[in-house]
Amino acid sequence: MTLRDFAIRYGFIALLVGLVVFFTVSTDGFASPQAAVFIFQSVAITGILALGVTATLVVGGFDLSIGSVATTAMMAAAYVMVIMEQNAFVAVVVCLAIGVVVGLINGYLIVYMRVPDLLATLGMMFLLVGLQRIPTEGRSIATGMTMPDGSTANGTFSGAFLALGRHRFDFILPNLIPVSVVVLVVLAVLIWFFLEYTRFGRMMYAVGSNPKAAELAGAPVKAYKIWAYVISGVFASISGILLAARLGRGDIASGNNLLLDSVAAALIGFAVLGAAKPNAFGTAVGALFVGILLQGLTMMNAPYYTQDFVKGAVLVVALVFTFALSNKGRT
Amino acid sequence: MNFTRRTLGKLAVGLAAASCLISAPAMAQDKPAPFDKPGDVKIALVRYLSTGDFFQAYLSGVEAQAKALGVDLRVFDSRQDAALQADMVDQAIALGVDGIIIQHGLTESMKEAAQRAVDAGIKVVAFDVNVENPKIPQIEQSDRDLARLALEQAVKDNGEAWKAGYVYVAGIAPLDRRDETWKEFKAKYPGIEEVAMFGTLDNPIANSVANQARSVLTANPGIQVMFAPYDEFAKGVKIAVDEAGLSSDIKIYSADVSTSDIAAMREPGSAWVATAATNPAVVGQVSVRALAQLLAGEEVGQSVIIPPTLITQKDLNDNDIKNMEELSAKLPQFAHAEVAISPWIALPGK
Repeated sequence: MTLRDFAIRYGFIALLVGLVVFFTVSTDGFASPQAAVFIFQSVAITGILALGVTATLVVGGFDLSIGSVATTAMMAAAYVMVIMEQNAFVAVVVCLAIGVVVGLINGYLIVYMRVPDLLATLGMMFLLVGLQRIPTEGRSIATGMTMPDGSTANGTFSGAFLALGRHRFDFILPNLIPVSVVVLVVLAVLIWFFLEYTRFGRMMYAVGSNPKAAELAGAPVKAYKIWAYVISGVFASISGILLAARLGRGDIASGNNLLLDSVAAALIGFAVLGAAKPNAFGTAVGALFVGILLQGLTMMNAPYYTQDFVKGAVLVVALVFTFALSNKGRT
Repeated sequence: MNFTRRTLGKLAVGLAAASCLISAPAMAQDKPAPFDKPGDVKIALVRYLSTGDFFQAYLSGVEAQAKALGVDLRVFDSRQDAALQADMVDQAIALGVDGIIIQHGLTESMKEAAQRAVDAGIKVVAFDVNVENPKIPQIEQSDRDLARLALEQAVKDNGEAWKAGYVYVAGIAPLDRRDETWKEFKAKYPGIEEVAMFGTLDNPIANSVANQARSVLTANPGIQVMFAPYDEFAKGVKIAVDEAGLSSDIKIYSADVSTSDIAAMREPGSAWVATAATNPAVVGQVSVRALAQLLAGEEVGQSVIIPPTLITQKDLNDNDIKNMEELSAKLPQFAHAEVAISPWIALPGK
């Protein structure tokens, strides 16, 4: 293995380790189990979104609607519990259903209506940003809020639902690991195994790299593509559930920042282990990389605009790793 | 005491003045023109921002005060379209309204439209937008006072020396004004030590701020006070404080209030102890009253400032306040501002 190969394969992992060492030395409290946990927690929501968008990248598509799917799911959860006064189970089911339906519609538009993926999901993004505001006439949802007709909403976020955002499992220390981190890890392992080791997942890669060949080989290309958008929709709605559980109310938000952060994580993932293609492990590492960087910088009192700058710089470096250094990028 | 002619004279003048004062309310029953026939008075509200809890409450205040006066209110909503907002002012002029309230907007697009309205003999007031016109009074909520009230409470609760975390994003006008007050406070109380400053407007804001605040709390153990002069910031800090298990060690002071903020402040053991806020409905009422005074030919002044109210966790718990309506009902100073008051102007709900 030449130095160049080594750099391509392990360069990003080495950077990650270097970063951890740097922050450990330069800030107090970075190298503690608690810090590790809240770094994971801070990337849980964008990480899950990024894993979903990875599925669409694998089939050669893209999903711009994930951020707004997440915030729509958050509003739906709040609506179901606070205004319709239903329990946590109903709220979760409704959110997941939203993810499935949005994924199916996205897939249908792209596969059967032949709308380019970026445009179809862009349209869906705007649609959802508007839709989530219609039931409450643009208000955020909280217990005790006054409805447009003058009545008061009496429902509350159920304890079971809030636990999704606030309960902590004992691990080494008591009350250490929040549910969202467990969900992130479980979903990451699942999607990684699914994409790398199952026939379904490998076929999705085949569809992504050469749809024509895959089709001629007898693969139901259209179905695989639609499935990819459904996966991305469901992952987005799961992160919306976690978001609602953490905030404890339904917040009007476009989710654009969630979208950008998660796409960045997925793209950074291309560079990990020299994969030069979308992959779940890389996405998870990419999300973690951004999380470590941002939390470390915050601990060092760096202002917010430097964080955007650093995020952008990391993305550019990762893309250079992917496309310039790796021969696989030259297609 | 020697009674001289001069003192008698003074007494006589005083008595005369006093009798004038007594007779004044009686005279005030006769409303000045054009409010002797309020049904013929048409006013327009031209809005730039309208979505969100704050703007909804503002509108309800405008409507309530217009109803109390008995005037005819037209609402124009440009939904954040600056050019459309200017057109709407022209539309209101064509409609022959007597007065216009401009609510938010951009100086560049509204300056000329506002001037055209003034030229057409229409009285205009502006809320939270500077149209650079000496004939147009500015209605403002005082961001400096908001920050001052919250910080004074922090000093009252924690003494004059504490370690503080501060949430701030530069370049947002109200936050910049609140920041000026924070700087003054730090200069006035050298014991206040700002150990960390952070903040972001990435949405959902509360979630992003919570992530940052977790790091800050870990890197700076010993923070006693978090000053988060915007309720979304405070919400995020509260989530982080709860997650770090520091709710009993840290106190959060903020500005602005909403129904969900009230719920967060009232959670058992909540670290969010006080917020300073102006009631948007009151701002709406004051906007209409100031316009009415202008129409009646009274002096209003260049700026009309609505004083904020301090709302503490204790107030909320003692009065069992659960939402904005109950806050207005149970904290009278929040429900009403003694600003732009004339005896002939009926107040809403009275």
